[in-house]
Formats: sequence, C-alpha cells, structure tokens
Amino acid sequence: MRLVLEFDNVTKEYRSFASKRRLRALDGFSLTVEAGEIFGFLGPNGAGKSTAIHLAMGFMRPTSGSGRLLGERFGHPGTRRRVGFLAESVALYHRRAERLVRFYGALNGMSGTHLEERARQVLEIVGLQDHANRNAGKFSRGMLQRVGLAQAMVNDPELLILDEPTSALDPLARVMVRELLLGARNAGKTVFLSSHLLSEVELVCDRVAVLHRGKLARMGRTADLLQSGEQSEIVVRSIAPTHFAGAVVRDGVVSFNVPAHTQRIALEKVWHLGGEVVSVNPLRRSLEEIFLEVTADPQSAASKGVQ
Amino acid sequence: MKPVLLIAINFAREQRWPILTLLLWVLLLAFLGLVTDIHRQRDDLLFVFKQDAIYVLAFSVFFGGSAIYNERRSRRILAVLSKAVGRQQYLSGLVLGVTLACAVYCFALGMTGSWTVGAAGFPILHVWFLMVCLLGACALAGTVALMFSTFLNPFFAAGATAMVLGLPALAGQFLGPQWGYVIPVWQLGATVVNSSFESPGTASWFPIALAGVETLAFWLLSARIFAYVDIAVAVE
Repeated sequence: MRLVLEFDNVTKEYRSFASKRRLRALDGFSLTVEAGEIFGFLGPNGAGKSTAIHLAMGFMRPTSGSGRLLGERFGHPGTRRRVGFLAESVALYHRRAERLVRFYGALNGMSGTHLEERARQVLEIVGLQDHANRNAGKFSRGMLQRVGLAQAMVNDPELLILDEPTSALDPLARVMVRELLLGARNAGKTVFLSSHLLSEVELVCDRVAVLHRGKLARMGRTADLLQSGEQSEIVVRSIAPTHFAGAVVRDGVVSFNVPAHTQRIALEKVWHLGGEVVSVNPLRRSLEEIFLEVTADPQSAASKGVQ
Repeated sequence: MKPVLLIAINFAREQRWPILTLLLWVLLLAFLGLVTDIHRQRDDLLFVFKQDAIYVLAFSVFFGGSAIYNERRSRRILAVLSKAVGRQQYLSGLVLGVTLACAVYCFALGMTGSWTVGAAGFPILHVWFLMVCLLGACALAGTVALMFSTFLNPFFAAGATAMVLGLPALAGQFLGPQWGYVIPVWQLGATVVNSSFESPGTASWFPIALAGVETLAFWLLSARIFAYVDIAVAVE
C-alpha cells in the first residue's frame, strides 16, 4: 500500500528564548497513513496533534527525526499542490467567498475557467452557493469553516489534512462533512482527520491513532479497537437468570456478560441447564471509552485513589 | 511568479486602510494647492510636500516590520503557506507588496506635487525623480524591517531597522559623506528633504541603484532566515 504521510521518530521541542525552557510537543512520534483511507488523529488538548500537522505541512521543522508527505520530505512546496489543508480555527482574508476560494486556488497554480468552475463547484459542495458573493469577513464561524473546507478542496487534492473541520458546524453541516469525507475516500483520496468529535471519527475513520503527551498512545483499525476482546454478551432463553451473576431478563430472554476467556464454560453451562443460546457477541466499546482509557493521567488517578 | 504577485496585491489590499489614511496627507497638500496662493506660499507647499514624503518612509518600516507578525497573529499565514507557495516566494510577495503600497502613495504624491509645487515653479521632472528616490528608500527600508521581523516582534524589528538605517547616516556625519551610502535610505531621504525651489538638487541615480541592489541583498538574506523559522501560531 502506498504511504501518503509518514512521521519517522519525529521530536519537536519549543524553546523559550527568554527562559531557555523547553517544551517537548512531540516525542519520538512515528506514524504512517496509507493512500485511500480516512485516518482519525485523536488526542487531548496539548497532545501535539496540531504540531504534528504543522510539521507535515512544512510550517515548522522537526527538532529531530523526519517525515514525508506524498513521498517528498516535509516542507516541499510543490507537494502541497496535491494537498488540501484546513487549519484549526480557520482564518481567511475578508473578501467575497468565491474570490477567496479563487485566490487560494490561484496560489496552487490554478487559473482561468477551470478555477472559476471549480470554485463554484466546491462552494456548492459546502452549501455556500447562495453566499458566494458575500464577504467572508461577515460570515459566522460555521460558514467560515465551510469556506475553509472549500479552499482546501479547490485544487482537488489527493490528500486532505483537516484539523478540527467540524468544530463550529451544526449537526446538518456535520453530516455534510461526513458525506464529503466518505465521498473523498470513494474517489480514492486520503483524509487525515484531527478531531475531538469522537462519534464522527468512529463513523468515518478506517484507522485511528491516539496521541498523548507527544507520544503515540494507541493506533489501529477503528473496528478492531472498538471490538473489545475482553468481554462477551451472551443472550439465552429457557433458563432462570439466577444461574448467572448480573444476568437480566429483557423481552423474555436472559442476557449476561462474561469475560471472553470464560465464554466457552458459560455456554456449556447454558446447554447443561437446557437453555437455548440466542446470541453471543463480543462487546463493542465506544471510541470515547478508548480515548479516556488511553489518555487517563496515571498520576492524577493515583492521587484520586489516595484521597 | 504568479503566487508572488498574488501575495503582493493581497498585501497591498489588506493595507488599504493605512494607505488611505496616509493619502489624507496628500489630500491636505491638494487642498492647500486649491485654497492658497501657490506662488506666494510655495515654500509652505514644498514643506508639506516634503513632510508627506517622509511619512511614507516611516510607513514602509511599519508595513515591513508588521507584515509577518500580523499574518501569524491572525493565523491567515497558514492558509497561504499550505498552498504550493515557497517561503521565498511568500517573502518576495511581501517585499513587493510593501513596495506596491508605497508606490501607490508615491504616485499620488507625485501627481499632487506636480500640480502644486510644479505649478509654483519646481521642475516637474524633478518631482518624479524625488518620488523614485522615495520609492527606492521605501523598498529598502521596508525590506530591512521585513528581514528583522522574520525573527523579532514588530516593535524590536522597527528599532533594529531604525538602527541599521540610521547608523550609516551617523557615520556619514562624523566619518565622511561616503559612509552615508552604505545603506542609502538616509541619503535618498535627504535628497527629498534638501530640495528647494532655488536648488532642486542634482539627479544622481547612484543611490537609487544602490538601494535597488541592497533591497535584493536584504530580500535574499531575509528569505534565508525565514526558511529556517517556525511558523508558530497561537493555538485557541
């Protein structure tokens, strides 16, 4: 599989000129994103997500380590022609939305009727076709975010790097962005999505990575992460619920959870009691649970325990 | 070249309010030209003309020194540098943008000056020569300020620029006039300030050419520095 984004043992330190203090935003961070996937990039505030994205875009240079964007080293201007980027808290010039999108398209070397058509097209995709002639300076934050998305897509990029694209959007607009991301993947494009909206990430991302304190804390296929191997839910009928701890009766069936390694014993017990197995499902966890588990501060947890 | 032009025009457009405010002084000169007796009060008109000329020099330092800082603070720099725009191109756009903003002012001042002080007996061709001097000085001063602003905040960048532009002038006073040409902003400004109806001054193109060469040198130096600077923006 072709790699479109690679971080290879990247460390980034911010140095304060006055106090000589160093803040390590990324610490030996390695990650690869494959072509054609939607990759979710998660982490609490200050985890280093935006730093990683800004390194990939060439806004900064790593303190150590290296990385490649579409096969070229970070910071190669020509490569950015094939990338669409939306920054967190999008900030754009105050001019008419269509002109704004055309300006950013022209910076990517687009011109003429192709650029005009594409600008109209992307504004339509983000639902701003009726506001194309309005000054973006007078837009709401949500509308501004949509123009930001439009400028990111104007060059029909191979790779979309989106930093919190849905943070200011209403539920309808979020659905629009979700469809847009899925559409991009269907068209063979890659999306690198940084977001705090875990439910959105869970719905659209093929793989996710969780960054914590500058280090990669967890990475894997979304489906694999959500599927907990630790617990199974067993639903049976024709037996009394008293035979299993924590069993509940619901709609005439008995359901209970057992540790995965005791699943076989539990099933044999059901059959032995003359019960009928309706279903056995590995329990699904939410991305939020995984996120909280990964980013839990052991120090604060310990101190809570002491108190 | 296209991204450079786009960034330059965009910069000048973003500076439209300071430029328009600055143009009010040119408007004042035009107003004086209308209401005064041009021939009797020609020295007063020339004084206002020179005063207007020096203002743009100060503004070029302001434009150059604050350009990158403003773009970073507003986070707009991210959307621009996320496109196929190299750091050198971005900086070239800003240098051209500062020069363009000053050129608009110099053109307006040249037009008004030709009408007012020109009508009072000052050689019109020399008015335009002075505007070229002014533009050369502005381009160099703005580029020096821009260079310092790649690694200093606007306040310190303006201070450092004032030192770099002022030291050769000081050296010129004490060590000999040739030292004034090391960075010829002062020399070019003096050409404008010292001109009079009796002695408009000689049209020497040397300091203008030198300013052009030094603008190029400072632009290259600032591009070199800017290539290694992290574009850190405030995180919300």
